[in-house]
Amino acid sequence: MNSTNETEAAKDPILTLNSIEVLYDSVLLAIKGVSLEVPNGGMVALLGANGAGKSTTLKAISGLLKAERGKVSRGEIRFDGQVIGDSPPQDRVGLGICHVIEGRRVFEHLTPDENLEAAAPISMSRQTLKSEKERIYSYFPRLAERKSAEAGYLSGGEQQMLAIGRALMTQPRLLMLDEPSLGLAPFLVVEIFDIIQKINREQGLSVLLVEQNAVAALKIVSHGYLIENGRVVMHDTAAALKANSDIQEFYLGGGEAKNFHDIKHYRRRKRWLT
Amino acid sequence: MDWIFLAELSVNGALTGLLYSLFAIGLVLVYKSSSVPNLAQGALTMLGAYIVLAFSLSLGLPLWVAIPISIIIMFFVGLGIEKVALRRLAGRPIVMILMMTLGLDIFIRGTTMAFWGGTSRPMDLGVSYDPFFAGPLLLSRIHMIGAGVSVALFIAIVFFFRSRLGIRLRAISDDYMASWSVGISVERGVGLSWALASVVAVITGVIWGEIQSVDQSLSLLLLKGLTVAVLGGLDSLFGAVLAGILLGILENVGAAYLDPLVGGGSRDLVVAIVLILTVMVRPHGLFGRHDIERV
Ligand SMILES: Nc1ncnc2c1ncn2[C@@H]1O[C@H](COP(=O)(O)OP(=O)(O)OP(=O)(O)O)[C@@H](O)[C@H]1O
Ligand SMILES: [Mg+2]
Repeated sequence: MNSTNETEAAKDPILTLNSIEVLYDSVLLAIKGVSLEVPNGGMVALLGANGAGKSTTLKAISGLLKAERGKVSRGEIRFDGQVIGDSPPQDRVGLGICHVIEGRRVFEHLTPDENLEAAAPISMSRQTLKSEKERIYSYFPRLAERKSAEAGYLSGGEQQMLAIGRALMTQPRLLMLDEPSLGLAPFLVVEIFDIIQKINREQGLSVLLVEQNAVAALKIVSHGYLIENGRVVMHDTAAALKANSDIQEFYLGGGEAKNFHDIKHYRRRKRWLT
Repeated sequence: MDWIFLAELSVNGALTGLLYSLFAIGLVLVYKSSSVPNLAQGALTMLGAYIVLAFSLSLGLPLWVAIPISIIIMFFVGLGIEKVALRRLAGRPIVMILMMTLGLDIFIRGTTMAFWGGTSRPMDLGVSYDPFFAGPLLLSRIHMIGAGVSVALFIAIVFFFRSRLGIRLRAISDDYMASWSVGISVERGVGLSWALASVVAVITGVIWGEIQSVDQSLSLLLLKGLTVAVLGGLDSLFGAVLAGILLGILENVGAAYLDPLVGGGSRDLVVAIVLILTVMVRPHGLFGRHDIERV
């Protein structure tokens, strides 16, 4: 742990996790006391290997745990100073938390346009809906070109852009991205990360970025947490993490070739959760 | 057999088929949100008809009042089924949801039997039994009306699915987890689809009740409705309409030619063959969607 903690705390974090534990199926302890903070308007990375508990941490924050028979069994999550207890995911989206889940899960049989509309709050007026869609298309011009094709037929990069754009339609204050670089060509990763950084700067959107691609992630965030086996084992500024020998050995050494995303692949999910 | 007779068989078959489509539309609505063929749709259809009769025969209300009231009641029955029976099944194996619909079917049939017994009651819509003359063809009036209702409902639902609420339902049908992640209430969406299917059940129950009167056998419509839904592709509304027409024609024409040979009962045989062949040859049905696989 490092003294940067204090400077961060002074900035009134938008998200605070206070030693949370997560249980799956009432028995499997997947997260064993994770504490972390995302400063308001900041960008923070959560790094770690397969099975470390990165996705589980995000699901605890977004409330998606419930759908997988998981629950936060200890600790508290604060968003904007308020404890979010057991509320359902839609309430948390209402507060301004949006989670772009792992594996670019766009609505395959909807067009990009409909994907964006589906995510807009039902209370949003027609005009706002239209201007919000325009805004998203201005971030991702490639999507505008294909806005009436079925989203299932978009390329991997386009689907990831759509997944992010769809999340932005919910008007989030905190955007959580789960491995957006997974399986994408390096130039696309750069393109997508640039856009995320731009939105962060222009709109003050806070970002919690989960990545195995530490090289790319540490370029755009200010701080990073390293999680192993359900525990935070390191927390520091991006620069310090880049320089850290352990991190170099495990995540940066050997460069792209050592990234995990070549090994991982995702089965397309059916309509029902398993 | 002459051409006029064949045409008459086909047109009447197509009209009956559209009434199967009406039933199948209810199945498709639930399938889209819950990924199971709703085995209780037949029982819900019968329940809808009984509720209409309770208001019209027992309470003496005119049908144009009894039907809307029943539609509202059944809308809430549909919502209730999701809330009480299905919500806690989220995340369980899909076969458990299928078994739940079977349980509901048995439950509803048992309850209606206890309340209304086994005697059959007429649903008197006041439609004349005289055939309608379309040139040289003799057509059944109630079938024509029912077919019209079926097509109108299909069009209404297609437009509904283009609305913002409808788009959300289609999103739920694509991916529960992604829907939750953007703040869509999956539970409410699934409830709405059951509510709509229950409304369709009332309309189906009224029309079929007029045709064959109301008793327990009304719930057996499930078998033909399921065949139509499977042939159409289970999640395709347009498929349900087209498959209904197709099955209706096959059944009517097939029976006319086969019945004299086998001594009756070939209607069911045609239905069985269609179902078995669909599952063997084209499991996605005519218009069912495959999950999109990009390589
Ligand atoms: N739905 C679930 N039910 C039971 N255990 C689960 C479930 N999801 C995850 N786990 C377990 O929790 C642990 C953390 O998993 P998690 O998905 O959070 O890891 P991750 O860091 O996101 O890994 P990856 O990089 O592979 O996505 C793993 O041991 C995993 O097996
Ligand atoms: Mg993960």
